Amino acid sequence: MRELSIHRVFDAPRELVFRAWTRPEHLTQWYGPVGTHTPLDTISVDVRAGGTWRACMINNETGEEYPTGGEFREVVEPERLVFTWGEPGGTAVGLVTVTFEDLGAKTAMNFLLTELPDDPGLFRGVSEGWSSAFDRLTELLEGR
Amino acid sequence: MADQLSTTFAALADPTRRAILARLADGEATVTELAEPFRMSLPAVSKHLKVLEKAGLIVRGRSAQWRPCRLDGRPLADVSEWIERYRPFWEGSFDRLDEHLREIMKGDRDA
Repeated sequence: MRELSIHRVFDAPRELVFRAWTRPEHLTQWYGPVGTHTPLDTISVDVRAGGTWRACMINNETGEEYPTGGEFREVVEPERLVFTWGEPGGTAVGLVTVTFEDLGAKTAMNFLLTELPDDPGLFRGVSEGWSSAFDRLTELLEGR
Repeated sequence: MADQLSTTFAALADPTRRAILARLADGEATVTELAEPFRMSLPAVSKHLKVLEKAGLIVRGRSAQWRPCRLDGRPLADVSEWIERYRPFWEGSFDRLDEHLREIMKGDRDA
C-alpha cells in the first residue's frame, strides 16, 4: 500500500512518449507541477542502467529552487523506466517505475512510486507549495 | 517504539478490517452488529477489532456489556497525507506532459 499509482493514456505513439521522458528538450516542457518550471540547462539525463539524472524545478512565483535527481535502475526502450527519485546525490525519496503500453496511436502509461521512507520530509515544503499552486489553478479554472 | 504508520498499514492490510472500518464510517456499532454482515463468529470479529484498536483506528466504549466501536479517522488521515503528498507533483507534471504531446502531434499533423 505504500505506493502512489497513476495511470494515463496519451494521444501519442509510444516512442514519442518514451522520448518525452528521457530527453531534456522534452522534460523541460513538462517536468514539475503547475506553478514551477524546469530550465533546460538544469536537466541532464544519462539514460542507461546506472546512469544518473537531474533536473531543477523553480517556483514561478518565489524563484525557489527544488533540485531533484537520481539514478536509472532499468532502461528498456521504449517500454519501461525504473529510476530513483530524490535529491541529486542525496537520499532517494522513492523508486519510480514507469511502463509504456503501445496502443497504436495512443500510449497507456503506468506510473508507480514505491519504497517511500516513513517520513521523507525532504519534499514536504515543496509539495505543500505544489498543492497550493494546484489549488490556485483549480480556482482559476472554476472561476471561468 | 513501533512505527505508527506501519501499525496502521498492517491493520489496513486485511479486507475484513477495511470492511469493518467502512461500516463504522456510518456510525458506531456493537460487536454483534459488526459480525452480522461477515458471517463470522464473535471471537473472530473481536480479534479484528483488537488489531484496529491497537492501531488507533477505532475507539471502544467503556460500557462493559456493549462496548460500541467508533471509528477514529486520524491515523487514516496520516496515511493518506503521507502517500498523497506526491500526487500533485506527478499529476501536475502529467497534465503538462499531455499538453506537450498534443502540441507535438498537432505540429506533426499540420506539417
